[in-house]
Formats: sequence, structure tokens, C-alpha cells
Amino acid sequence: VLLALYMGYVGLGAGVLRALERPAEVRAAQHLVQQHWELLANHTCLRGPALQRLIEGIIQAYKSGITLQGNTTSLGRWDFSGSFFFSISAITTIGYGNLSPSTATGRIFCILFALFGIPLNLVLLNEIGQLVLLGVQHCAHYLEEVFHWQKKTSLLIKTCALVTGFLLFLLLPPLLFSDKEGWSYEEGFYYSFITLSTIGFGDYVIGMNPDRTYPSWYKNVVSLWIIFGMAWLALVIKFCISFLE
Amino acid sequence: KAMCSGKLQTGLLVASYFVYLLVGAAVFQALERTAEKQEKIAAAQMKEAFLQNFTHLTVAEMEQFMKNLSEAIQNGVYPAGNESQIEDSNWDFSNSFFFAGTVVSTIGYGTLHPKTAGGQIFCVFFALFGIPLNIVFLHRVGKMLSLLCKKLGKFLYEKGMRKKKIKFLTLLFFLVTGILVFLCLPSLFFQITEGWSYSEGIYFAFITLSTIGFGDYVVGKQPGRNYFSYYRMLVAIWILFGLAWIALLFNL
Repeated sequence: VLLALYMGYVGLGAGVLRALERPAEVRAAQHLVQQHWELLANHTCLRGPALQRLIEGIIQAYKSGITLQGNTTSLGRWDFSGSFFFSISAITTIGYGNLSPSTATGRIFCILFALFGIPLNLVLLNEIGQLVLLGVQHCAHYLEEVFHWQKKTSLLIKTCALVTGFLLFLLLPPLLFSDKEGWSYEEGFYYSFITLSTIGFGDYVIGMNPDRTYPSWYKNVVSLWIIFGMAWLALVIKFCISFLE
Repeated sequence: KAMCSGKLQTGLLVASYFVYLLVGAAVFQALERTAEKQEKIAAAQMKEAFLQNFTHLTVAEMEQFMKNLSEAIQNGVYPAGNESQIEDSNWDFSNSFFFAGTVVSTIGYGTLHPKTAGGQIFCVFFALFGIPLNIVFLHRVGKMLSLLCKKLGKFLYEKGMRKKKIKFLTLLFFLVTGILVFLCLPSLFFQITEGWSYSEGIYFAFITLSTIGFGDYVVGKQPGRNYFSYYRMLVAIWILFGLAWIALLFNL
């Protein structure tokens, strides 16, 4: 029965997403084809195969994380701050993918790094979660003793903690992102959720816009947010699961 | 005293976590920096060569075209070919199904992702309920597999082995068969169907089953290759059982 539910759920999602995304995709493809032919038409000495090769070259470069805008190519991705962020994305299993090892040694190291890093990450998140839970429980006890409220306070405190977490990790960060990255609020919220749930598509990644300057504390603050946000979300999902079972 | 040692433990954990990250960052940087530089040079050269061959093409037009091209690529539209295959969609049902699966399992390759605001919001809610569902589902499958484990253990126990040895042997058995079935064999399979090297196949298998899912390697996305119709479904089933196997390992 669970299997059927699972398959059904995934199928439902597929259907809806398809309905939502297909039209935009068709439009984008048509637009691009139009452009392509316009370019060829405007410059008749430009030949199809040469343009083809250029396009393939651009695609190849893009997949390696290189954009060809402007006179100089975009800033290096594998500097220390970028590599640090990459390491985080690997062991938290977010795995954005906008940056990924291209050398064979890099990939082998990545596998080994993740093999030990992921359990380490899980243990840390668990610890943080336990600490937060303890803190919340202490708070509840304290309030019970001081104000002589009945047992319902524990539920109240838990919902309070849930809401604060929600505010802190999902509702406030998009404001920061819309200021620093220029995303809309909805895009910031989408990014926050996709990151904290460790899905990590990589369609939105912080600090990757070559036209913007970021303050030096930015990436570190975001890394902290990721860790604490994930711990909080893991707690929430634990509650959901114990509820389901 | 117990609380003190607990705090010390936590502190040590946090410290080791950050040290681990720093070490990783340094190593990645060392390994990847030079390769990246070479790619950049190659890309710049290609651009230069192209502009030189067609000197009346203004740089501004070129920039505009490349910007649009980059946007299209970000949207998952790869225009290599005479007509961009408008019929062949990224969002046909089988691809959308695969996508939904990667969301719910939190792998999240990202080669395909919703671009419309509606699609994104739906994705968030879909994942909010789908991820717990996925976890519960994998938990169940893991439990069923662990029952098999116990039966094997019982069988060995009746043959007169000691309990500790049984536990060790069953763990080893599941670890080895799992690695064979979920890492080694699929990589051979991918060598044939995707044309990857064996190590690339293992890298892909690991990155997928650990749910990291970079998206640099994805099944069924090589242009110009023919995949038999149930390929993706087969891979999806492999992913599902592989994840359950990992869940089982955690349980043991």
C-alpha cells in the first residue's frame, strides 16, 4: 500500500510540474531558434557549422561553470571560499552542482571526502538538534514552574519554537537574499527551502553573480544558516515522521 | 561532571567538523584550480578565434547572443542541432516523473528544474510532504530487508555459530553484496549505455546514492544516444533500492 501511495505521489507531482513548465520551455526553445537563425541571416558569411561548434563550445564551458560574458571570464570558482562552500555542499548532501570536480583525482577525493563527511555531518546535526530540543524543554519547565501553567505549555512552547525556527530559517533569509542577490522574495524562499531540504538543484546559488559584489561575511553567515537551518528542519521532519508512524 | 564532558564532546565535534571542511576546501582547491584555468583559457581562445574568423560580427551582438544562449542552457534547452528539438521536451511525462523522484529523494540533480514561479512554489510544497513520505517508505523497505538479514542470522545460529560472529558476518555480507549490486555492477552497465568510463560510473553511482546529486553526470542525457524505453525506469528502481540499502546499513 505504501508503495502504491509513493508511486502515486511521485506521478502526481510529475503531471503537475509538466503542466506548469512545458509552455515556458517551448517558448524558450523557440526564442533561441529564432535568435540562432537571425544571427545567421544577418551575417551571411557566418556559416552554420562554425556557429554550431561555437555553441557546443559554450555549452561545454557552461557545464564546467565558466561563463564567457564580458572581456574577461568570470571570477575563479575554485578559490578557497568557493572550495569551502563546495565542501559544505558535498557533506550536507545538498550538492548544488554548479561547481563539481572535473579532474579524476578530484572526483575520487570527493567520494572519499563525502564517505566520511556525511556521517560526520549527520552526527553534528543530530547534536545541534538535541541541544536545541533540550533548550526548548528547559524553557518549558521554567515557565511551568514560574507561572504554574498546566501541561499544555509544552505543546505551546514547541509550536512557538517551530514558528520561530520557521521565521528565522525560511521567512527572513529571503529578505537578505533579495537584497544581496537581487532575487525576488519567492525565488529567495524557493532557494532557502531547496537548500535546507538538501535537494539543492543549483539553479540558484548564492554568491555566483559576477556583476555583484558581496561583503566578506556573506558566505560565512550563509554557511552557518545552512547548518542550523538543516538541524532545525531535521527536527521538524523527525516530528512529522513520528506523527506519521 | 557528566555535563562538562558532554559539552566538551560537542565542542570537539564542532571543531572537528570545521577542520574537516577546511581541509576539504584546501584539497579541492589544489586539485581543481589548474584544470579550471586551462578550461578558461581554452574557452577564451575559442571565442577569440571565432571573432577573428568573422570580423564584421560586432562584439556587442556576440555578447548578446551568448547571454541568451547561456540563459537557454540554464533553462535546460540545449540547442545543438539544426532545429532545436522542440518536440523532444525536457518536461515530458517520463522526465517529469524522474524529476519528481529526484525531488522527493532529495538527490536534486538540477539539470532540470522548474523555471516558472508556479512550478517553484509547487515544488516546495511537493517536497515538504514528499520527503517525509520518502523517508517513511525507505524505512519500511529497509525493515523488510533487515528481516531477511535476521532470517539469515537465524539460519547460521542454528548451525551453531556464535551471535557476535553472525552479526559481523551478516553485516559484511550485506555490505559486500550491496557494493557489488549497487556500485560495481551499475557502473559496468553505465559504461555500455552512457559511454562513461568505469570510474565515472562509480562516481555517478556514489553521488546519486548519497543523495548529493551534483548533476554533472545524469542518466539519459547524452545527446545523440538511443536509450531503450524503460531505461530511466530501470535506473529509478535501482536508485530506490540503493537508497533503501543505505538506510538498511544505517539500521544495522
